[in-house]
Amino acid sequence: MSFQGPEEYDYLFKIVLIGDSGVGKSNLLSRFTRNEFNLESKSTIGVEFATRSIVVEGKKLKAQIWDTAGQERFRAITSAYYRGAVGAMLVYDIAKHATFENIDRWLKELRDHADDNIVVLLVGNKTDLRHLRAVMSEDAAEYADRNNLIFIETSALDSTNVEHAFQQCLNEVYKRVADRHFSNVNIGQTTALPTTNLQSTILEKKFCCNS
Amino acid sequence: DKAKLDKFQSLMLTPSLDLDELKKLSWSGVPSKFRPIVWKLLCGYLPAAQDRQGIILDKKRQEYHNYLEQYYSTRHQEIHQETHRQIQIDLPRMCPSIPLFQQETVQQIFERVLYIWAIRHPASGYVQGMNDLMTPFFVVFLNEYISSTIDTFKVDTLSRSDLQKLEADCYWCLSKLLDGIQDNYTFAQPGIQTRINQLKDLVSRIDATLQRHLEQHRVEYIQFTFRWMNNLLMRELPLRCIVRLWDTYLSEQDGFASFHLYVCAAFLTKFSTQLQRERDFHSLMMLLQNLPTQHWNDEEVTMILAEAYKLKFSFSGAPRHF
Repeated sequence: MSFQGPEEYDYLFKIVLIGDSGVGKSNLLSRFTRNEFNLESKSTIGVEFATRSIVVEGKKLKAQIWDTAGQERFRAITSAYYRGAVGAMLVYDIAKHATFENIDRWLKELRDHADDNIVVLLVGNKTDLRHLRAVMSEDAAEYADRNNLIFIETSALDSTNVEHAFQQCLNEVYKRVADRHFSNVNIGQTTALPTTNLQSTILEKKFCCNS
Repeated sequence: DKAKLDKFQSLMLTPSLDLDELKKLSWSGVPSKFRPIVWKLLCGYLPAAQDRQGIILDKKRQEYHNYLEQYYSTRHQEIHQETHRQIQIDLPRMCPSIPLFQQETVQQIFERVLYIWAIRHPASGYVQGMNDLMTPFFVVFLNEYISSTIDTFKVDTLSRSDLQKLEADCYWCLSKLLDGIQDNYTFAQPGIQTRINQLKDLVSRIDATLQRHLEQHRVEYIQFTFRWMNNLLMRELPLRCIVRLWDTYLSEQDGFASFHLYVCAAFLTKFSTQLQRERDFHSLMMLLQNLPTQHWNDEEVTMILAEAYKLKFSFSGAPRHF
């Protein structure tokens, strides 16, 4: 194996995927980062991690995505992963109403542990299960509106909107970063980030405001 | 090998079996032919006195059957339905690469065992990953009834009474295992948090270079070893290796808790060179989540175990280690 330097990027954004168990978080992640879908992928234990870079307005944005386990018991551990996140995808299953009802709890979880300016997407996954739909798009859209969330429906299975969902999330994060919304995170620092149990949050490599 | 088989054979024939002797012999691996009975003995499920074994087995199997009668119907009650639902979500996703586990009969057995265990242990309840921990017992005990390869074996071809025995045996042995590590699964999972800290401490003593490398790139142990603890390395190693690993765990005092820690340390440091070649957080994490063990066999496990044994010998008496 030859030496490879760290990959270059302009911004590093940390995104978390949260929501009930079995709503398809891991498949959204694998669809976005590897273009893969697995009907019977193993349950996520703790957190799993993947990255993908996209280009927005000529800037290379690297998304560092943390996929979390859905079960309540892991919450004490996984909530630590919200620290430093600038985007969150709050996922439910359009064919399981209970997973939509729990969105309130997940949102509270985010409000308690994440940055106030975090970009939150409400993601209704599994739109391929048309005949089993239990959550109406209008209801979810209205909920999203009320709570200031971006709403989108996806299917990790047939790829519908997956790319679009992540793009939208990253675009919005980028906008907020450009407008300096994230006062609490460490914009403009490439080194000496506080040691948290997480990787650093936003790194502006080329546009360091200290320079 | 033949000599080992003979030793097991003669030990098994003694009317009151010497458990310490059995542990010594089993530490370095149990021949598959003897594994079902040896595991039951090592779990403390089967008594060492041969003349009592039949009676105890009957009694325990009946007891499990009674639990089923008493509790299984509660799964639709409001306070229990979340537990049941979680188990049901996890079962179809269990060991996707092994066809055996996709069979309906098998999943129903798992569902009942895990559900009964969960509602009898409300302090932890069912936690994702416990389903994985039942799979080694299931494949090992299934071997009692069949001689062909089990990956594709049709479980429905077994008699009803054999299936019931198998199910009860899995329940009791899984219970014994979980009893020893219940603090891994109670609120905030304190057992796991403690052991992750111990692991970090241990690795910093035995492989300071690796430790510095991980720190330099801000890789935190909780990010990759949580799963190692919660699922006892079952996501990191092929099932055949786990079965071999458990021969030793079951032969160790407190194998699934403290000895597991040394195994994790040996496992991590085995990839030290490879990890040190990775030069950023992302590639380190990707490697740590997908360590190349798919082709591992007994040989690799034996090496890890030997290393873990050395670590235990050197550190178990040291301050800050138990």
